[in-house]
Amino acid sequence: MHGMTSYFIRRMLLIPVTFVCITFMVYGIMRLAPGGPIEQARTQLLMAMQEGGGSLATSATGELDLPQEAIEQLKVYYKLHRSIPVGYLIWLGVWPDDDRQGEFNGVVQGDLGMSYRYSEPVLTTIVSKFPISITFGLIGYLATWIVCIPLGVKKALTHRSWFDTTSSLVVFLGYSIPGFVACLALLLMFGTSLVWDIFPLGGFRSENWNEMWEAGNFWWCVRDQAHHMVIPIIGYVMSGFATMTILMKNSLLDNLGADYVRTAFAKGLTERRVIFLHALRNSMIPLCVSIGHAIGLLFAGSFLIEKTCNIPGMGLLGFNSLVERDYPVLMGILVFGVLIRLLGNILSDVILALVDPRVRFE
Amino acid sequence: MHLVIKLMELLVVLLLGTLLTTRGIPWLLARCLNVVGVSTSFSPVTEKRIRRFKAIRRGYWSFLLISVLFVTSFFLELTVNSKALRISYDGRTAYPAVREWVDLFWVFGDISSFCKKSDFGQVGDSEVDYRQFARYAAEPSLARSELEKAKSDLAAERSAYLAKNPEPGAGASQYQMRRHQRQMEKFAKRSEGFAMLEKTAAVFEGGRASCWMPVYPVGPSDLRYDLPSNPPNRPSLEQGAPFGTDLSGRDVLPQMLYGFRISIAFALVVSVLGYAFGILVGGVQGYYGGWIDIFTQRFVEIWGSIPFLFTIMIIASMVQPSFWMLTLLMVVLTSWLGITYYVRAEFYREKAKDYVQAAIGSGVSDWRIITRHILPNALVPVVTFAPFGIVAYIGSLVSLDFLGFGLPPGTPSWGALLRQGLENVKFYPHLTVIPTVALAATLYTVVTIGEAVREAFDPKVFSRLR
Repeated sequence: MHGMTSYFIRRMLLIPVTFVCITFMVYGIMRLAPGGPIEQARTQLLMAMQEGGGSLATSATGELDLPQEAIEQLKVYYKLHRSIPVGYLIWLGVWPDDDRQGEFNGVVQGDLGMSYRYSEPVLTTIVSKFPISITFGLIGYLATWIVCIPLGVKKALTHRSWFDTTSSLVVFLGYSIPGFVACLALLLMFGTSLVWDIFPLGGFRSENWNEMWEAGNFWWCVRDQAHHMVIPIIGYVMSGFATMTILMKNSLLDNLGADYVRTAFAKGLTERRVIFLHALRNSMIPLCVSIGHAIGLLFAGSFLIEKTCNIPGMGLLGFNSLVERDYPVLMGILVFGVLIRLLGNILSDVILALVDPRVRFE
Repeated sequence: MHLVIKLMELLVVLLLGTLLTTRGIPWLLARCLNVVGVSTSFSPVTEKRIRRFKAIRRGYWSFLLISVLFVTSFFLELTVNSKALRISYDGRTAYPAVREWVDLFWVFGDISSFCKKSDFGQVGDSEVDYRQFARYAAEPSLARSELEKAKSDLAAERSAYLAKNPEPGAGASQYQMRRHQRQMEKFAKRSEGFAMLEKTAAVFEGGRASCWMPVYPVGPSDLRYDLPSNPPNRPSLEQGAPFGTDLSGRDVLPQMLYGFRISIAFALVVSVLGYAFGILVGGVQGYYGGWIDIFTQRFVEIWGSIPFLFTIMIIASMVQPSFWMLTLLMVVLTSWLGITYYVRAEFYREKAKDYVQAAIGSGVSDWRIITRHILPNALVPVVTFAPFGIVAYIGSLVSLDFLGFGLPPGTPSWGALLRQGLENVKFYPHLTVIPTVALAATLYTVVTIGEAVREAFDPKVFSRLR
């Protein structure tokens, strides 16, 4: 176990390094790229001033421009007045922030800054979106398991039969259609009057959900929520179900050919007992490993499905802050996304080591 | 009769594409490789695998279908384009579509396919209206009758104006005089072109003008002003827009076809570049091992933790990426990573074998061992993963375009059509249905190829009691 412990400690130590590399890279890209918040604020202010007839300075090129001190103020407001490395270190919280009397205010202290757009702490904004993304991710993931395991088992047991071949067609079709395109197609078919208008056309809940909830209309609320969730959940399932079904099938087939199964049969166990008690348990190992990787998806949500179905989760927040150049929120989402993904990878290894005693990391 | 000719043209292009795919390109590739000094004969093992792949008919036919369609799509400029293949007018001949097609492959600059209106019997300095030209060429009397109609229209308008505002007499104010004068000048200016159109009509009637249009005479960025209603137009065969138009009035059919070419080309380039780089890195890792391996592996792990779609979106939200920039971003951020793991493992395995040790012992250079001895034996994962990689990259491109962070606006793309489809899901279902079906069909075909390749190159034999 000694080797394994040190392996995981080394993996954990790699997290901060990876984290700093990625966030620094993205921070640098954001600072270097043109069209940042200053540019946006400048155009907005210029338009407002032209309408209001405020005082404008003329830049060297002869165009109307904001006075220099206003730009400086904007830079300070958006925290863009420092060089990229110093700005990054302040954001990280390992460099004293002069604007706040030399305090350390950064990621390390749990302060992700203020959102430009919502004028509230980034952490509050992101955390408020957590429950939505987690609900969808979790239910979607569970639904994937519920669909994939029986299907994979059935396909393995009837390998090369007509059921296997025809269901393979469906599985490959599922693999070839991206989840969000499936959502879009379903919205078209069941959200509009084209085929059968039974589901709402996107959204997380009905508009009057909160009123109904307060009025104590519990069952109506549950029904409404479920009603809105069907199409996105199918999208989530579509994203992963092909890979998982094939994984389940191949893994079970591998195990059915193994010696221990032969032994189990030889000592006279029933087929049902051999398959479901011995082979199936072992063939679930590769699937357990996917839990860790799925956690990343669980939190970060899916940009595409949330955008398609208009669900106000983390993905849509990320998309909107990208469109509105809300850099602190983007960096905040990046922080959570990267951390969760890294932890998820390690979790996968831990799960693998726990469920499969043959596996040894060094 | 007209339709038959069009169908024949289409058939010829498809045949050409098929011949190029099955005969021309393989021959050319082999020649090129031989010139560089790479042998193109396969080892018996590989030949057996290829035979096995051909035996899996579904996969083999899918492969043929996709490659023929892709190769044929490089003739789109000649088949689906608003420009004429050949236009001749009074002794002057031009080949705008052909020039545009050559420009596609011409890397040393731009070949202009521009034809000025005034050179081809139309009034103005902009690009020739090929549709109108083709109409006149097909029905020469139209030029005359439309000219007569324009003339009588103008005359009618003029007399109507004069009837309403009679010519100001001596007592009229300066202002009235000037207004009248200006209006008369306007009428005169409009009749200026008539002399030229008179000549044009004569040329057409004399049979000295001809025009050969592509099979579907609409390009991906042309607006369909000829349709009666405002965009988006629903699909309608009678109006000549079988797939309808998008929100800005561009025809969907050419966009789908050109989008197919762009999607597959993008996926292919991303795969090839990514594999070249990934194989190099993985090979060096596996061959040398030691510190090189450890450091590179850490780097690959860190790099692989970057949420690539998010990062590309951040970059694309700031700088509008071109096709090549998007390709490079995909290669640098993701496509080279996956293959390094497999190639590294294969190289570790192969390096321990006797033939490599023998090669090292007889003093063969490292580069030669990596490329000539180990690589051919380590290519199985590369080949088996390639089709699935292509599926993933087409999906990424469509996703990025869908979110609006992909190729520049105006580029024909399936993702952009899907976005318009989402915005208008209630009223214009064709904007969703057409790209979805095309995407699903294309990706399904590629997945079928991938399944067959995997089956042929890396067969799994399951033995089972009972």
